Amino acid sequence: MEIKMNEDIKELLLMVTSIAQEKPELLNARENEIYLKFSETGFIEVYPSLAERKFSLIGLFCAESFEKREGFTLFYAFKQEGMAPVLILVRETGKEKMTTSIAEAFPSASWFEREVRDGFGIEFDGAFDTRRLFLHECYPEDFHPLQKAFKNGPIRQAESPRMEYKFRQVKGEGMYQIPVGPVHAGIIEPGHFRFSVIGEPIFSLEIRLFYKHRGIEKLAEGKSPSECVVLAEAVSGDESMANATGFCTAVEQICGINVPERAERLRAIMLELERINSLLGDLGGMAVDVGFALVASPFHVMREEVFRQNEKLTDSRFLRGITVPGGLKKDIPDSALKELPPFLEKFTRDFESAYNRAISSSSLIDRFATTGVIRKELVSPLNLTGPLARASGCPADIRIDRPYGAYKDFAPQNSLRKNGDVLARYEVKADEVRASIALILRLTENLPKGPVFAESAGYAGNNSSGNISGATGYSLALVEAPRGQSLHWVYLKNGLVDRYKVRTASFCNWQAIEHAVLGNIVPDFPLINKSLNLSYAGTDL
Amino acid sequence: MNTSFLLFALLNPLFALLAAPLYMSLIRKVKAYAQGRKGPRLFQVYYDLKKLMKKEAVYSPTSSWVMRFTPYLNLSTLLVCSLFVPLVFVPEPAGGLGNIIVFLYLLALERFFTALGGLDAGSAFGGMGSSRSMSLAAVIEPTMVISFAALAFVLKSLNLHQMFALTAGKILPISPTLVLVSISLFIILIVETGRLPVDNPATHLELTMINEAMILEQAGKNLALLELAHALKQFLLMGILINTILPVGLSTEIDAGKIAVSAFLFLLKAGLLAIIIGLFESAFAKMRLFRLPAFYVMAFFFSATTILIEVFA
Repeated sequence: MEIKMNEDIKELLLMVTSIAQEKPELLNARENEIYLKFSETGFIEVYPSLAERKFSLIGLFCAESFEKREGFTLFYAFKQEGMAPVLILVRETGKEKMTTSIAEAFPSASWFEREVRDGFGIEFDGAFDTRRLFLHECYPEDFHPLQKAFKNGPIRQAESPRMEYKFRQVKGEGMYQIPVGPVHAGIIEPGHFRFSVIGEPIFSLEIRLFYKHRGIEKLAEGKSPSECVVLAEAVSGDESMANATGFCTAVEQICGINVPERAERLRAIMLELERINSLLGDLGGMAVDVGFALVASPFHVMREEVFRQNEKLTDSRFLRGITVPGGLKKDIPDSALKELPPFLEKFTRDFESAYNRAISSSSLIDRFATTGVIRKELVSPLNLTGPLARASGCPADIRIDRPYGAYKDFAPQNSLRKNGDVLARYEVKADEVRASIALILRLTENLPKGPVFAESAGYAGNNSSGNISGATGYSLALVEAPRGQSLHWVYLKNGLVDRYKVRTASFCNWQAIEHAVLGNIVPDFPLINKSLNLSYAGTDL
Repeated sequence: MNTSFLLFALLNPLFALLAAPLYMSLIRKVKAYAQGRKGPRLFQVYYDLKKLMKKEAVYSPTSSWVMRFTPYLNLSTLLVCSLFVPLVFVPEPAGGLGNIIVFLYLLALERFFTALGGLDAGSAFGGMGSSRSMSLAAVIEPTMVISFAALAFVLKSLNLHQMFALTAGKILPISPTLVLVSISLFIILIVETGRLPVDNPATHLELTMINEAMILEQAGKNLALLELAHALKQFLLMGILINTILPVGLSTEIDAGKIAVSAFLFLLKAGLLAIIIGLFESAFAKMRLFRLPAFYVMAFFFSATTILIEVFA
């Protein structure tokens, strides 16, 4: 098989080979992604230098019986900030379910490794945290749902949990623990927070999530890509469009489908509407969490208006059921699209007045400024992305760094703040709403006519013809969801999904909260949490 | 004991008990309107109380008699307090009732038991609420003492009944310094009833709560009694403020017509005050916990100024 490479990829390959003594095996390369395989000693030699060269570990996932290999194959996805190519180091464990941990060099690996361990039963030697992640105590021992040997179905719960989940103990005079959740007083998702405090200041916080595991990755196995889109949309409610686009982009890359321009533009319009929606929820929610309902209510009203606009465009308030691999299921009528610019014009006026009311209130600023600081040094090691990274002085945005779809021609305005506190995040989010509005207006202008579905893909309803049916291959797609970088890796085997890995931005961003709250007082925690807008569902597939 | 006082002891607490929940609702309604919502019905708090009265109380296994006793103690304390604040008419003086120091200690007793009740269930939130409430009480109590001292200074009595006998029937406050004291009393009202910017009564975020955290573990009838006691406390503090700043219509005679007018006017004035409280609550974000003493100091400042003016003027 001949592998085509562009300049960026060649440069990356050159750099990696210059680090290593041995020459890696080039498994595959595509625009912006390259798969290299080293021997075990080669891998151990290479990865510390990647950390030195400011690569972030953006994903670590596993596949069983990948291509013609036996046993398990691990994929380590690395990316440099601001660069488009993703370097994927392939590591085989074979039948040995044992390998070494890289969490010392890449802290973000810790959760990834625990996730792989739970799903596939691979032990990572030298890991500093070996507790279970998404499998809670009630799951039986030796239960690893992502192994091919496990067939989806009811499982027998462990009668007596193997071991208690041990939280970090912080000891000292006057130190006490506050356990919060997973059941909360409000209608919010479940998560457990273990604070260690002396009086009000927080000395340590440990989070435990994964109370709502749905087995999405397992459900995807053996499904056709068009069926699988529904699963991608279900990953996280207010990121339906982003995750559907991520999944479809990966499939389109595998099958070499060129999505018609109209479909790409419409997708981008919907992605930006979704972003506005999510950000409005934050802008309102953060005001609610400091008890300022008066300032919050216009944001909630505007959010509802956007929902209704979504419904007019796609018949779905959450923009679901319209994206398919190859384009869109149906065209959006021009009459509905014509309503967008006047709607956004009025929306902008409302938004500016609501935002000015918020940001000109001294009592609000007093709560937001200096609260919950995320230092820039954390961004790369923990792979933090999205508005929270941009508020900490790191301009990462997949739409700009590694554009997909219509973003190749329509780059959004980037917003940057340096302080990394709640106020910086508030300002970044407001800026991004404005940038999204401007982008939608540019996208709707001179919208090309034509099909919204690539015929070469074969129609989603009948799997008989087209490029997707019978396709085999794998590809990685990154999209900028409202919360940040969302990673989708799809492995198709004979036109069916063999492995679908999603890693939403929240999976990495959650780990920032343990750092952001240090030194803050307990009553400021809900505000910090809301300002980070972390999805529980998006983390726990 | 004379007939005037017996009538007062019957009418005043009954009036307070019946009218108090209305103003909890009214403030919520005002806040809802400010946010562009319709809000709950005006009598929603009564319906809630009725519903809670029918529900069983659930106790944590670690709780003791304190948790069971607190609701009854709080409501009875507040009912005794309601004998101190003339709302419908000012009775002839009788015994120690109306003494401002006793009044403050009764409020302290209520606060103390609420905090104990919060600790009793053994939940982390209750403990946190009690700890916050007690540390803030250490700051607000001296402020309250100074404010009531200023009130006593201006109205030349330690007895609330005598004070309001002096202001009763007047249209405007009898001394301009009363306006200053009223500002202090308003802040005390906000603090003591746990309203914004001190505490958010509408929140579901356990970690930010002060007052709500302490009654988080209470349920059913006990919760209803605590809510009623809280409404009563708010109503009485509103009563003190209204009688100070806008005493118009307060009757000193036992006359059915005058008492009715007095009660009716009081309901109207309290309605006005509730609207002001609702708007005030809407105008700020909740303050940072450790900035709260700065808010209390404002009350202290206005009261201290009052005393200085009264001494030197």
